[in-house]
Amino acid sequence: MNKNDDRPVVISVKNVGKKYIIKNIKKYPIDGTKFDKFKFRINKYSKSDFWALKDISFEVREGDRLAIVGRNGAGKSTLLKLITRITEPTEGSIEYYGIIAAMLEVGTGFNPELTGRENVYLNGAILGMSKEDVDKRFDGIVEFSEVGQFIDTPVKRYSSGMKVRLAFAVASTLDPDILIVDEVLSVGDMKFREKCLNRMSDIAKSGKTILCVSHVMNIVRGLCNRAIVLDHGKMIYDGEVEEAIDMYNGIHKINRLDHRELSGLPRTEGYFCDKLVLQTVDILDNPECVFYWNEPIRFTFRTKALVDIKDINLRVRFARNNGAPAATAFVEMNEAFSAGEMRDITICINKHNLAPGDYQVSLTLTRGSVFDNFDNIDSIEPDAFSVTILNVGTDNKKQMDDDASRMWLDFWGRSRIMDVTSESATVE
Amino acid sequence: MADGTSKRMLKTVIEPNGKNSQYWKDIWRYRELALNLAKRDITVRYKQTIIGLGWSVINPVVNMFIMSFIFGNVANLASDGDAPYSIMVYAGIIPWTLFSKNFTLASSTFISSAGLMKKVYFPRIIAPIGASLAALIDSAISYAVLLLIILVSYFSSGFVPSWRLLLVPVFALLPIGLGFFTGLFLSPYNIRFRDLKQVLPFLIQIGQYVTPVAYSFTVAVEAVPDQYQFLYSLNPIAGVINAIRWCIIPTNAFHWPSFIAAIIVTLVFIPLGIKAFRKGERTFVDLV
Repeated sequence: MNKNDDRPVVISVKNVGKKYIIKNIKKYPIDGTKFDKFKFRINKYSKSDFWALKDISFEVREGDRLAIVGRNGAGKSTLLKLITRITEPTEGSIEYYGIIAAMLEVGTGFNPELTGRENVYLNGAILGMSKEDVDKRFDGIVEFSEVGQFIDTPVKRYSSGMKVRLAFAVASTLDPDILIVDEVLSVGDMKFREKCLNRMSDIAKSGKTILCVSHVMNIVRGLCNRAIVLDHGKMIYDGEVEEAIDMYNGIHKINRLDHRELSGLPRTEGYFCDKLVLQTVDILDNPECVFYWNEPIRFTFRTKALVDIKDINLRVRFARNNGAPAATAFVEMNEAFSAGEMRDITICINKHNLAPGDYQVSLTLTRGSVFDNFDNIDSIEPDAFSVTILNVGTDNKKQMDDDASRMWLDFWGRSRIMDVTSESATVE
Repeated sequence: MADGTSKRMLKTVIEPNGKNSQYWKDIWRYRELALNLAKRDITVRYKQTIIGLGWSVINPVVNMFIMSFIFGNVANLASDGDAPYSIMVYAGIIPWTLFSKNFTLASSTFISSAGLMKKVYFPRIIAPIGASLAALIDSAISYAVLLLIILVSYFSSGFVPSWRLLLVPVFALLPIGLGFFTGLFLSPYNIRFRDLKQVLPFLIQIGQYVTPVAYSFTVAVEAVPDQYQFLYSLNPIAGVINAIRWCIIPTNAFHWPSFIAAIIVTLVFIPLGIKAFRKGERTFVDLV
């Protein structure tokens, strides 16, 4: 970023463009002559150029950890494919120094018939490691992947989790001059994802040059110190991570995770929304809806009253993606509305104690007591919105005070019981 | 601009139209990958089989028995000199298999390794080289079996092979090169026109009957009308087979025209094949 930076340039991308030729089906010539129709039969397609990337220029200096962010189809993966020489640019040039290795899709080149051990060596070779390299790292790979005694079992008998763990373990031992990471961190169960993130932040701390593509902004925050934003094949920003994320969220508005229109959604059975209607919900402070463990979840929902109504309370239920309820919050708001009134209500769940995982959140408005003898007013199930509870500390700012909670196994249940004390006395 | 790293680190320049100064150096750097891919091919092929590599023996041997029964016993064609018909057939099967395997593997390389090539960079030619190495193992086993068969027929019918038997591995380079580079030449078309995937195995099958694999070259030339005899003898693969048979059967004369045809075709297709392949590798990721 800084022109006076004296760190050496390791990647220099100059005016790079990538053109694809796409085929479109022509319009059928209804009013055309017979000859036109004949031409259509012979060749239904017209070709047009599509620039997946255009005029991309930037430099990466040694030790930069550059994030490439942008919506789907913005050209991020194409850019990485050019840098990793999987396909070549149509124009411009890319220069780099040293060896680039990419942790693209985890498990590329895994052969299901081969054993874990054989696959480690094959995968290592594919990623550019020599046999000695793999030999040296083999024990570490097995340990990290937690595959243990199954290392000599064909990979086709592995669970999908084991496969992914092994693949990541191989890829993460790579020691190139420039490391490229494309969305690999969204693999495995929560616990392993966390382990991967920790491994990645270790690599990040070691001063290696990293290029990273991710849709999870918290990963970008935790891993990178610089970001570029791509939109429709053009580079629209190069600089600070937070700025880039804001910009990305700006582009992202069309399909935001943190805003839901509720009026059109189907209602829970027995709720007629003829008195008070849920209209929208916005998740605050967190466009990705990914929260760290016990990080407060704040959201605002808008209601519209059709009649005068009072004693309105709210139930917020968290359920697993399979529908199993995990926890419910009862909010005694005792709100009163007059007919025609619109109101935004902000809820903050300060401490939810929810275990890491993905949750669907349903909202239910009731009249009267929260627990019994209530009237159904309006309810959206199974999800008015969704959240992901994460359990990692890649980012100091977001690190929770409780380090013991960094790992969570599924069979421990869905909520963590806090405030437990113990007393002991020796029996004589 | 500080450019200090350039001194200790390899500089790579990526430009349009496949300008790449270090392509051949890269191939050397990735040689281990070729071996690994070959190892994978072989291991996977015989996973969960009981006799494993034994299948590499059974296949050509059974072929030999069937062909020598049909062409030697049923059709009663003459063999070369005093060589047992089965040995003559087997001496044809080895180079034919080398040619057809290399041809098939090289021509389909972009399709069979697309999954890998779309995700990771390595000099693309490593993929067909690896596949070809794997096929070579089979042929090496076939060669060992040939020696065994010759030993058996020495005791049973007193057939004495030529000392030139030792030259077989050298002459085997010819069908490998011929198959590999003609295959490479067709490989980019195999992506664009998938029809080739249907046509090529068919051509291979026809080729096996047109080429003197299961019968003697002399018999075939005599059967062809006079004015086409020379043309027939230009079949490069016939040249390869003749050369291998000359190595084994002492009474066979070296057939120069077909051999020279084989050499010329191979030499022509080495640059053509590499050029076509390198052109294909640049764009195939966008096409597959």
